[in-house]
Amino acid sequence: MIIVSEDEDEGDSNPFLFLGQPVHDNVLNINHDYRYLRMGYYVSAHAETFGVDVTPNCTEIMDAYRNPLLIEKAKRHGIRTNYYRLITSSGSEIDAPAVLFAVNPFTNNSMKVVDSGSKLPGMIKRMSMGARFPVSIHPLTGEVMEIIQMFGESTNEETSDFAKKFYEVFNIPICKLIVQIDDGGVVLNHCEPALKKEVNWDIVHDKVREIKRSV
Amino acid sequence: MKIACFVEAYNFIVKSERIALMKFKSTSESMGHDFEFIYKNDISKIPEYDALFIRATTDPSSSAYIISRLAEQSGLKVIDDPQSIRTCSNKVILHDLFHKNNIPSPKSILFHGDYSRETLDSIISTLGLPVIIKTPYTRFSSHVEKASNEAQFIEISKHLLRKAKVLVLQEYVQSDFDWRVGILRNEVLYLCKYCIPDGGWKVRSKINGKNVWGDTIALSRDSISPGLKELSIMLSKCVGNGLYGLDVKEINDVYKVIEINDNPSIYDGYEDTVDGDIYEKIVNALVS
Repeated sequence: MIIVSEDEDEGDSNPFLFLGQPVHDNVLNINHDYRYLRMGYYVSAHAETFGVDVTPNCTEIMDAYRNPLLIEKAKRHGIRTNYYRLITSSGSEIDAPAVLFAVNPFTNNSMKVVDSGSKLPGMIKRMSMGARFPVSIHPLTGEVMEIIQMFGESTNEETSDFAKKFYEVFNIPICKLIVQIDDGGVVLNHCEPALKKEVNWDIVHDKVREIKRSV
Repeated sequence: MKIACFVEAYNFIVKSERIALMKFKSTSESMGHDFEFIYKNDISKIPEYDALFIRATTDPSSSAYIISRLAEQSGLKVIDDPQSIRTCSNKVILHDLFHKNNIPSPKSILFHGDYSRETLDSIISTLGLPVIIKTPYTRFSSHVEKASNEAQFIEISKHLLRKAKVLVLQEYVQSDFDWRVGILRNEVLYLCKYCIPDGGWKVRSKINGKNVWGDTIALSRDSISPGLKELSIMLSKCVGNGLYGLDVKEINDVYKVIEINDNPSIYDGYEDTVDGDIYEKIVNALVS
């Protein structure tokens, strides 16, 4: 297995070098950001072109980072989600309070919590860029929390089982998850790249060493 | 069978595209199938259909990708499928694909913004001048530039790298037209020449400050040369089993692939002029 990591001490190759070489072995791609058109995505795409197994693969990346695909996959695998709606304008009836996520090619860290119905139309108009792109709307039912998931470990103890299940289903080594905690437990709302400084790299290093020993 | 055709409002602006869409609808209905246009607000309706045909512009960042993936997961026949969208929408991935599969194409290299003397010399000695600079997400000849000298190369590439992590640099190959080979299910569907307009260097060129498209000349698919046919099918099989449009240069009887596109243009009076059965063939691919 080839470890491709943006952390020079950890990997067998860094992303720039990796992209210039043919690939003959399975790949573990460690990056804090797998978004489309980012280096984390290109590493997985390069490995796939050469027909080797890669973690995560491009389908898994897209399934996690595009909000409707994330929610539908979570539902199929028994991960709790809210009823969500995709809309481009506020013409239809929507209840507040709600958590909104932009579903467009440009926006990251797009979460907006809106507690008043009167504020929803303006927010939807802005987030949909004038009805050009959908906005994913989730009801606000609990406490909103951001957690960093690293190989199934969470930065928050309360969500450790949830992070483990998320990693089993989605196979994304590092990401930020936006969840709500309510009486029933953890509800998944969104997945996006973690900031490099938000990642506990000691956990990542330990996990990578474990994986290296096991292959 | 119920066919959903995913479109956006802009698909109905140009008359020739609007008529082509209506031809898809009337052809489907004459073959006994329902054909409905759906928009991004209709994503939740996807499981109601048997097949999905995407005519809105595709890209992994677009709503079209979400629709395509949800349809695939719901068991619909899908054109364009998610993998084809991911592969064809990105010129960096195509660069990889061509190298891995020995597809004859203009010499190309990836560029991340290393402007050291050694790298600049290597680029110019490998690709020559002028050199073509492409962003990963180029489409309809946009975000493709030509640099005639090193200073222009530095200026253009720095500008493009503001929005792209990596660029594809490509040897410039001069020609009067690109072959456009339409492929469906790894068979030739139609054949055209996409001409370069006078005074331009790509199919859509900026001439005297205005965007000018070259002419489209349709030819019978049966007239395709064996070499072009073999190359086109070899490449389409590397991507998948969908609907593709290949752009190919022919220089001294040698073919070089520029790119393969999912979601190729099909406009009334252009691609369908000679082989008018392309609508029927695409509908058949969706329902069979």
